[in-house]
Formats: sequence, structure tokens, C-alpha cells
Amino acid sequence: MKVWQFSEQAYHPAFDVPGSMRVTLSAAHCDPAVAGTLLNRYLDEYVLADELGFGLMVNEHHSAATCMSTSCMTTLAILARQTRKARLLALGIPIANRSNPIRVAEEIAMVDVLSGGRLEVGMVKGAAYEVFMSNRLPARFSDRFWEAHELIMEALRNTGDNFSWDSENYHYRAVSLWPRPLQQPTPPVWMTSSSAFSSVEHARLDYTCATFLSGAVARAVFEGYRKAYLEAHGRPAPEKRLAYLGVVATAGDRKTAFERAEQMKGYFTTAARLDVQFRNPPGFNPVKANVKMMQAGPNAVRPRLRSGAPLPADPSIEQYIDAGLMFVGTPDEVYEQLKRFYVDVGGFGNLLMMGQAGTLSHADTADNLTLFAKEVMPRLETLSLDAPNVHYEAFA
Amino acid sequence: MSTEASAADFLKAAQQVEIQGLKLELIVKGEGAPLLFLHGMDGVEGCSRIIDLLARDFTVYAPSHPGFGASELPRAFSTIDDLAYFYLDLLDHFDLRNVTVVGFSLGGWIAAEILVKDSSRISRLVLGAPLGLRTAERRGRQVADIFMLSPKEVAAAMQVSSSSDKPLAELPESMLERIARNAEAVCLFGWSPYLYNPKLHLRLHRIKVPTVLLWGEQDRLAPLDYARSFVAGLGQARLETLDACGHRIYVDCPEAAAARIVNFA
Repeated sequence: MKVWQFSEQAYHPAFDVPGSMRVTLSAAHCDPAVAGTLLNRYLDEYVLADELGFGLMVNEHHSAATCMSTSCMTTLAILARQTRKARLLALGIPIANRSNPIRVAEEIAMVDVLSGGRLEVGMVKGAAYEVFMSNRLPARFSDRFWEAHELIMEALRNTGDNFSWDSENYHYRAVSLWPRPLQQPTPPVWMTSSSAFSSVEHARLDYTCATFLSGAVARAVFEGYRKAYLEAHGRPAPEKRLAYLGVVATAGDRKTAFERAEQMKGYFTTAARLDVQFRNPPGFNPVKANVKMMQAGPNAVRPRLRSGAPLPADPSIEQYIDAGLMFVGTPDEVYEQLKRFYVDVGGFGNLLMMGQAGTLSHADTADNLTLFAKEVMPRLETLSLDAPNVHYEAFA
Repeated sequence: MSTEASAADFLKAAQQVEIQGLKLELIVKGEGAPLLFLHGMDGVEGCSRIIDLLARDFTVYAPSHPGFGASELPRAFSTIDDLAYFYLDLLDHFDLRNVTVVGFSLGGWIAAEILVKDSSRISRLVLGAPLGLRTAERRGRQVADIFMLSPKEVAAAMQVSSSSDKPLAELPESMLERIARNAEAVCLFGWSPYLYNPKLHLRLHRIKVPTVLLWGEQDRLAPLDYARSFVAGLGQARLETLDACGHRIYVDCPEAAAARIVNFA
């Protein structure tokens, strides 16, 4: 298993401001000098993670204290120069929120050549509330996503004559990518999924499929992917095509690890702070899905504990562990938790590890990453469903 | 009778007709001169009371706009113009003449877009708190942005009468589907620019038929001030305000509004 370091790069001093942390939070709460210090600190942690053997994953959000990375590619352009070994993963670029897909392709190509071909590109639908900042139409969002995807891929892999492009949302007289990407025909592509249904297309396209903090749902996502992959390609899906994102807190002793986890829990409690009207803008999800959500009420999207019960509103660290959202403890305990989850969901080849989250300090983050790299990562490299000490265990 | 039950009852009269290949949900009710009724953002079911009142004096044609209720939404439809041209086809389809067109809120916008194109089959126009003219300018906003408001705030902005606080989960699936489709269609046609066509003000002068503007004095979505741009653009229109009435004129004072429409026609 390959492990990737990830941080949302929060402006955590604003966590104390009452109310929503996204969309409506006033920029007056941001001290730009503090923001600069924090962003540099998070970049230092990525540089450390590179030295420790992690891949590096970067995301983006907008108008949010929970995430100051407003452009995957800007952050990765810095890391392309400051790191030497790590694969650089943008997960991802919200392409249906971008008005200019060719600009997206240009940035991908530029970072790919800068980094010597170390870029991996996630194209994502992104969080529903991002349409309030991009102001792109929520209705027919998925159609626009695939339209932008097609154009970006055409631009990246084109080595022939320039081409013109005309589709429902995008119109170009001449597409000519300077520079064009180093990795041929394109850098590896990732997409995200939170259901068995949505992973099918990713499997057909042979893209890496990641699922974020989805706990037991990851099993369905991966199963859907494996089934579709086998049908489309006539061979089993390689584990490296599957990725899971979870929060990891480790330390030399259990007590310190749990204290770190408490700091990182701030990620969950602040991410949830978003006014109701921004959660699911009309048209972003299909009518059938919206009807189901209205019928199910507010508990519909809660992650589940192993017992099948929904995760309570303010879960304990133990409950986050039980639900497969956090992996916390000594290196041995974290390894055992990851192994159990790995087996439960039928295996996956990438752990997208939130090694920094919430209010976790630089010193704690550096120690968390270092200890994990030394004590857990080597054991994960050989983790396999075929290993004799691993047995199948289903979620309740 | 509860609002939901009356809506379900009201919809029993709906038929499916096919016009230019589009399957349309249409309620035809009453006797008298033809009246095309164009509903607001909450669908034709939200206007059941006023449609019933108007059916005493008119033959009311009350469609669910394409994308709303149980009307198809062709993939190629994306603007209010598409709906306006479609309704011109509807007038041809039924060969309606001397039609009174009545549109509320979003339906008022559609009505205006129909009339600026072709009013040859239309003799009178009633716009009830229409949208469609510029709703904001730079940092100033005239029409409240429903997409930025919570459901409770939207309900309060829409009407002065109290609205149902029954949990959605208790409604039948067919009604939930209508709610979801109506919301999606409002978003498709009104997301950006927010509920207006930047060109409409250049074209309003083409509306020559006698026109009445109805406006609720307590309209908190599109306050009375917003009516002025319609008055200015339409030239000959008469503005009539309604007391104790919000944006949903057809919910807050259907009797008074219906009486004004009957008197006008």
C-alpha cells in the first residue's frame, strides 16, 4: 500500500468564530499574516512527508476557514520545486466549477513538466456548496463535469494538429497546449466516489477511485469498482486503483495518540458547520436522490458504526475508529486498525492519510508523520488479502 | 382540508398533452374566454386556489412549465426563452384567440417573454409580482436571493400567511418528486443571472396589450420598489397593489387577486 500525506491546511484560529465555517464566513476573520505563517507551515510538513517517503495529496476549497488551499495546482507548483521524490496528487480539481477547462489543462501540464512527471490529477465534482462560490449552474452539473473532463483529456493527450472545440458549455477556436504534459499520454487520473454506482464509470476509464471518510460505504464503492473493472477490462482491478482517505494519529504511547486525535477531530466538527441551504443546492443531485434525502431526513448521510447504527452527532475518538474514519493509537494499534479496515473493504492500494488535521500543531504533525513512516508504512507495503494472518471479516 | 391534500386533489384534474413532442402536464378548467395561467416557483399546485376561482369566469389553461411538476424537460431547454417559445406553440396548438395571460412571479417573467415575442393571440396581460428584470446591480440587490436563504427564511420571504411546517418526510413520494423537480427547474432557469434576462428591459416596450401589474404591499422577495422598473418599461401598464399580501399573491390573497383579474378582463 502506498501512503499519501494530506492536510486541508485549515485556518484554525477561526474555528472559535460562531456559525458556519464555509461559504458565509466573513473574510474579516482572516489575519493574512497568520494565514501566511500557517500555509508555510503546512508546506514544510509536505516537504517533510516527501523526505519520509509519503506521496503528497493536495485539495482545494473556497470561502472556507477549514481549507486555505484555494488552488490544487498553485500549491503543487510550489511542491514541484521543493520536493524531489514524491508523487504529487491533486485531489482534486473541481473541473465543473471552472469556467475554463483549457486553463485547467495548462496548469496540469505546467506542474507535470516542472515536477519531472510526478503529477497525478484528480478531477472531482467537489463539494456541492462550492457552486455558491463558482456560481456555476448546479443543475446538469454532472453533464458539465464529463464535458469538461473530455475536453481536458483531449487537450492533454493531443500531439497532433491544434483542434477547435465546440460543446454545450465550452467553445474554443484553437487548442494548443504549451507546455504539454511530460507523462504520456496524460498524467494518471483519479476520481472520487461515494457509492457503488458512481465508481462504475471510473473503473471503465481505468482511473484510480478514491473514497473519502466513508467508512463502511468504502466497501460498496470498491466492490462496484472491481465488478465494473473486471467487466470492462477482462482482468481484476489492481489494488493501486483504489484509495481510501482517513485520519491517522499515532504516537509512542496511546494517551498521546488520543490527545492528537482530539486535536484532529476539529476537522470533523468544523467541516460540519455549514448552513443547511448550502448542503445540497437544487439540481446538484438527481431528483430521485433528492427525494430519498427528503424521506430519510437529516440522518441520511451519517457514516455508520460497525454495528450499523449511525455515528452519533458528537462521536468519541473510539467511535470514529469504529466507523473507519480515524486510525488512532500506537504504531501497532494503528497498523491493526488499518489492517482490519483493509480486509473489511476488500483491499485497497492507497491510503490517503490526513496526517495533519484540525488544530494539530506542527511539532505533533512532524512526529505523527515520522513515527508513521518509520513504524507503520513499511508494514503496509506488504499488506495483502492473501497474507496468511488475514481473514475475512464483514461489517455487521 | 390540508394544503397537501388539496394539492393532490387539485392535480387529479391534470391531463398529459403532447405539444411539439413535449409531454406537458396541463389542467384545463372552467368555462368562458380562454386564460393562460403561468404558475410561480412552487409549481401549478401552489396556485390551486386562484385557478379554481378564475375557472368560474374563464376557461383556464394551467400548465406545469416544462421541468416542473409532471411536465417533461427537454434536454435542450435551458432558458426562459425556451419556455416562452413553447407557450407560443401551445397557443397555436389549441388555436386560442383573445387570450388573457396571467403569470405570477416566475410565471410573470415567462408571460413577459411570450408577449415581447408575439402577442397576436393575446388580448390582455396580468403580471403578478413578475420577475425577469434586473434583480441586482453591482453590490446592490433588489430581489432577495432565495438560494442563499434557509428554507425557513425563504418561506418567510415568500408569503405573509403562515406556511406548513410539516416535515417533508411525511409527504407522499409523488409530492416530494414534484418539490424536487420544481426546485431543480427554478435553479436551471434562474440560477444566474439570478431570475432575470438582461435583455428583457430592451424589449418590454413591445408589449402593447392592456396590462395590469398586481403587487403585494408586503412582498419581501421582490419589494414594491422592484415594480417600478416594470411600470417604466411597460409604459401603459396599471399598477395595483394588494394589502396584507406578500410575493405569493395567489396564496396570500387569491380572492382579491382573482376579482381584480375578472374586473380587468
